Amino acid sequence: MSLLEVRDLHVWFDLPEGRQLHAVQGVNLDLDAGERIGLVGESGCGKTTTILAMLGLLPPSATVAGDVRLDGTSVVADEEEATRPHRWKDISMVFQGAMNALNPVKTIEAQIVEPMTLHGTAEGSAAKKRAGELLEMVGITAGAGARYPHEFSGGMRQRAALAMALACGPKVLLADEPTTALDVMVQAQILELLTELTRDLGLALILVTHDLPVVAQVCERAAVMYAGEIVESASLDDLYHSPGHPYTRLLFAATPDLYGEEAVLSIPGAPPRLDRDIVGCPFRERCDRAFDRCRVERPVLREVGDLRAAACHLNDEPVGSRT
Amino acid sequence: MGMRSDTLSDSPEDIQADLASGHRNWLWGIIKESRQAKLGLIVLLVFVLVAIFAPLLAPYDPRQQVGPVYAPPSWQHPLGLDDGGVDMVSLLIYGGRVSLIVGFAATMVAMVIGGGIGILSGYFGGRTDQVLMRITDYFLVIPDLPLAIIVAAVWGPSLSHLIFVIALLLWTTTARIIRAQVKSVRERVYVKRARSLGASDLRIIARHVLPQIGPLLIANTVLTVAVAIFDETALSFLGLGDPTSITWGTIIEFSFLRTAISSGAWWAVIPAGLCVAIVIMACFWLGQAIEDALNPRLKVSYVSPRRFRMRLPTTEDDR
Amino acid sequence: MRRSDFLIKRAVFAIVTVFVAITINFFLFRVLPGSAVRNLSRVPNATPELQQSLEEQFGLDKPLWEQYVIYVRELLHGNMGVSFSNQQPVSDNLREALANTIPMVALGTVVAIVVGVITGVLSAWRRGTKLDRVSTNTAIAFYSFPTQWLALVLLIYLSAWFPSHGRTDDFLFHPTWWEHQMDVLRHMALPALTLALTLYGEYTLIVRSAMLETLGEDYVLTARAKGLTQRTIVTRHALRNALLPIITLIALSLGYVVAGTILIESVYSWPGIGNAVYQAVIERDYPMLQGAFLVLTVSVVFFNLLADILYFALDPRITE
Repeated sequence: MSLLEVRDLHVWFDLPEGRQLHAVQGVNLDLDAGERIGLVGESGCGKTTTILAMLGLLPPSATVAGDVRLDGTSVVADEEEATRPHRWKDISMVFQGAMNALNPVKTIEAQIVEPMTLHGTAEGSAAKKRAGELLEMVGITAGAGARYPHEFSGGMRQRAALAMALACGPKVLLADEPTTALDVMVQAQILELLTELTRDLGLALILVTHDLPVVAQVCERAAVMYAGEIVESASLDDLYHSPGHPYTRLLFAATPDLYGEEAVLSIPGAPPRLDRDIVGCPFRERCDRAFDRCRVERPVLREVGDLRAAACHLNDEPVGSRT
Repeated sequence: MGMRSDTLSDSPEDIQADLASGHRNWLWGIIKESRQAKLGLIVLLVFVLVAIFAPLLAPYDPRQQVGPVYAPPSWQHPLGLDDGGVDMVSLLIYGGRVSLIVGFAATMVAMVIGGGIGILSGYFGGRTDQVLMRITDYFLVIPDLPLAIIVAAVWGPSLSHLIFVIALLLWTTTARIIRAQVKSVRERVYVKRARSLGASDLRIIARHVLPQIGPLLIANTVLTVAVAIFDETALSFLGLGDPTSITWGTIIEFSFLRTAISSGAWWAVIPAGLCVAIVIMACFWLGQAIEDALNPRLKVSYVSPRRFRMRLPTTEDDR
Repeated sequence: MRRSDFLIKRAVFAIVTVFVAITINFFLFRVLPGSAVRNLSRVPNATPELQQSLEEQFGLDKPLWEQYVIYVRELLHGNMGVSFSNQQPVSDNLREALANTIPMVALGTVVAIVVGVITGVLSAWRRGTKLDRVSTNTAIAFYSFPTQWLALVLLIYLSAWFPSHGRTDDFLFHPTWWEHQMDVLRHMALPALTLALTLYGEYTLIVRSAMLETLGEDYVLTARAKGLTQRTIVTRHALRNALLPIITLIALSLGYVVAGTILIESVYSWPGIGNAVYQAVIERDYPMLQGAFLVLTVSVVFFNLLADILYFALDPRITE
């Protein structure tokens, strides 16, 4: 049994005129303590929705099916009050753009202490002390906790958000595009910090991003999402060197190469609409290796090697014609 | 239509918003979409039609006594008679006419002044803009009603004076809004292109700027009419309107001066105010709905009384 | 921009606006037709001595621009002329009137703010539900009712329980201090209630709007992710943040409330500044009208400046 198990997660969003958007289409995920996996894909592929579902933070227009289990107990339940105690204490999150994720009228320290008091992790001066320690851990002087978010730079705010996320000693940390709004130098620092901390504290990490170098720096494994489902899941090495899905291959090839002379490849076309049923493979319109079977039959995510899985018909074809 | 734009976030709200943004720029489409707007429009049309067909619809002559002073409602006179023995229903119908006319006329004048200043200010910028905006700022700070009172008191009571005075109070908001819109339109590519091709300023304003700010101008007009009608009732109440004309404002004024309340004649007071309120509400609904559609604050609230739904596992495969 | 710079700018603007108002005030009365207006000394039933002294004070025989300068000078000394109606100095009349208006307005405004905040917060929290629609439309309705009409309606239904006229009971002889306060309070009830009903609608909409802005901010999502209850988030996080625009908008609206009192005080014959304007119009008491207009303008300018100051005092994001 893994620390975090996601089983057949589906999320639909209501659209006008009674239609629905099938944003997450049967996602399965396993995460062990100390593991760092990436959840990668273009914008709109459903990765943010997936992790929000783990915290039960979806809007009223959403319908959820499936299960998310932490240490065996289900955390996505019918009742808000069943989920609420787990938040932050077991699973916490660092959001995209900490500029706005921090409350502008409260001090950093107050915002870190708040969940501690709420979940009973620490109280009063003990809580403040712990907040100071957390700040030091992320590279901010403890005294700076008395300041307001706007007094910090973007990078520092993200560090503070990280400290805040660790306040109650969670088992799982979700990071949604934690470095997107930061400049490259700061990005590298934050990612290093993230890697160190999760390693030192034995956390499990899910890093959601559309930026491949980011995943490469932090994670050992990654799941590639497309049109609401996971199309490939493997180690970063395998994904880069021997991708089991054309999308993965094109995604990695599309990343700008600072040193090489290769032309930047962008994937033409757009992802399919999710408000209607998809016939065949969702990637076939943009795939350079699509064939007849792709038009009629939707590929299933299945094992294609040692600790790898992919959803592509090409993996069933004889070796010569593979991606 | 329906293709996703390249936003960095794939949050559920953005996905939904993108797919829903098919038809937003058409004014009629906007109105059709909103129940609030439709309601407002229908109510306004009803009042306007009643005002236009007043002579046909009013059961009695609004200046003719047809019974005793402050007679209570009866079958022939559903809203009773006023302090002069005149039928209230007829008074209201004819009063609506003048109130609406004053409201629309004042708004038109305010639109011309405010719109003109806004367009000049926004389009030409620089010194013109600064000077005009300074003037607007001063006007904005001076309290509406007292200014109107003084001007009306010193100038003398008449409908045209009233219209002008009300317009004086209204033009500033319009000027501000129009200026902001014009400024943003001015920076658009096609306007710059037109200018580089040598089109005259007037032509650019007429062909490019006006159509773009059109819908917002309409929303602003509707909301201004509401304020104009409100102001008319206030000024008439204070005796600054035309005492010989019949408006909803003067009906309320006379009910007060002729002690309708002590006579127990609620029918001389309540219906007129209700009419004003209903028209103002209708304007508000319509104008607000248009404005909301044009400047969508599609900000979803992260707090809500309802929760997302859980679908229990079924035997069939959801794919 | 630094805090102090901005405030100085706003203060200067305020002073200039007051001068513009004084100037408009001055010329308005002299430029428009009606010669009685021009002559501030034409106080009915005035003694020749009074007329003479007024003519000297205001230099009514001198050219227009000199009169203007004198007018401003006298104004700075608190001399606004003499009322045509009761031959008393305008400034004295206005002082008394203002003293009567302020408690009544304070009562009405405080009630309106409290009710407005509660309904606004609830509406925003439960946005889209029936509660929200009912609450918002009720607010719009009260906002749309003509103020004077609302006053009359309240008179119709509530005059059995509350006095409908004036500020004190003429037949209450030699009241104790307490009896007097109670008497005034009873008389204040209807005017203050009218004001509260007229105002609360606007405040509900302001609060609702500000709250909706706040509730869509990312830190609210963070707060939910932390496991805070919705109630805590709404009342202690969102409201704290929304208070800033709410307070400034309310402060701005207060300036115009004073003008609204004209309609209320005239119906209830409440002897405040609004009623003073009303009476001055009826009796063509131009010095009073001029003076009252100035007072009302200054109050708007004052509250606008207050709103600016509050905004800067409350937002931790503005630094020196």
